[in-house]
Amino acid sequence: MGVMDTDRTLPANRLVFEVRRDRKLVERFANDLEGLMKDYGLSEAEKKALREIDLKALAALGMHPYFLPQVSRLFKGTGYNHNESAAAQLYASKMLAPGKP
Amino acid sequence: MAEIVSVLALAHAPGATGWLDKAPKHEQDGIINGYAELRRRLAAAKPDLIVGVANDHLLNFHPTNVPDWCVGIADHWEGPAEWFRDWVNVPHYEVAGNSSLGRTIVRESGKRGFNLAFSDSLLFDDNWSVPLHFLTPDHDVPLVPIHMNCVLPPMPSPQRCYEFGKVLADVVRTWPEKKRVAIMATGGLSHDPGGPKYFGVDEPFDRGFLALLNEGDPQKVLREITIEKMIGAGDGGTVELLAWFVALGAVGTRKADTAFYVPSVPLRCGMGGVSWDMK
Repeated sequence: MGVMDTDRTLPANRLVFEVRRDRKLVERFANDLEGLMKDYGLSEAEKKALREIDLKALAALGMHPYFLPQVSRLFKGTGYNHNESAAAQLYASKMLAPGKP
Repeated sequence: MAEIVSVLALAHAPGATGWLDKAPKHEQDGIINGYAELRRRLAAAKPDLIVGVANDHLLNFHPTNVPDWCVGIADHWEGPAEWFRDWVNVPHYEVAGNSSLGRTIVRESGKRGFNLAFSDSLLFDDNWSVPLHFLTPDHDVPLVPIHMNCVLPPMPSPQRCYEFGKVLADVVRTWPEKKRVAIMATGGLSHDPGGPKYFGVDEPFDRGFLALLNEGDPQKVLREITIEKMIGAGDGGTVELLAWFVALGAVGTRKADTAFYVPSVPLRCGMGGVSWDMK
């Protein structure tokens, strides 16, 4: 899975795109994810994957690779995003074999 | 008439400002000294303004409508965009733009087969925030930002980027203002944000690419570096080198002078930069 597998029409892509541009939507992502997902018309499969931070499932549905670590940052914070950070480790735990990196 | 006095291409990975302390000392030194060398080269060219070309990290190009290029035509810019501020870890900054040149690029490129979008409200993330932090830390050189699609298929081909670079350079030179202009391409080298090589770097690819640029044979670069090859070296990140193909179109057969290359796994990026002597 990679950029060539992106489904640009996927509602979840539109949601993540717009959230990062708008502080109010970032807050809503944190406080009312269900309502936000409903408003953006996510499918049940997209909702389940985002709710469970199932990055592999989101990738399989056509989420752009950029947005996968960004989803991890929406849940775990954006700052000091080194390889051992909570956000990077969340990504690693969801996408890579255990123990890596 | 305007003159192109410098052309640069460099990586802009956010780790350079966001978590550089996590890299070993020799990597930190190589990156800091490398950017400092590019800063010296740029300053020596005494540019009145910079025309930048960089990947839009899916921050401005809405999925419903993705152009190949979008020229920033505002006279004033600021960054980093709010959600990216902690991530990039540079303070809020403001930098002048140049509406006259931005509009000229859109209008005149249109006459030559390039349908450019334009905007006066682009959000900046690491694409400009990192290069400007290191190259013009006082933000005292105006910037005409050109965002491009390197990551959402279909991207413009390397050939198309090269052709745009030729047109861009010609158009800048026909701008009637007597200004010294630098062209700065940012992106790459190998990295893979969110992809299978997220925690890796493709050093052989990067060194091969830089060596090709040092030869001064753009046709050879175009033959050897395809989108597929870039994707092989790191999916959505390495393909940012399409911005370097725009620079390549502006420099023709000049040979690149590599200022630095540091493959950095802690920064999740092949960090490097080159310049071309435009004398």
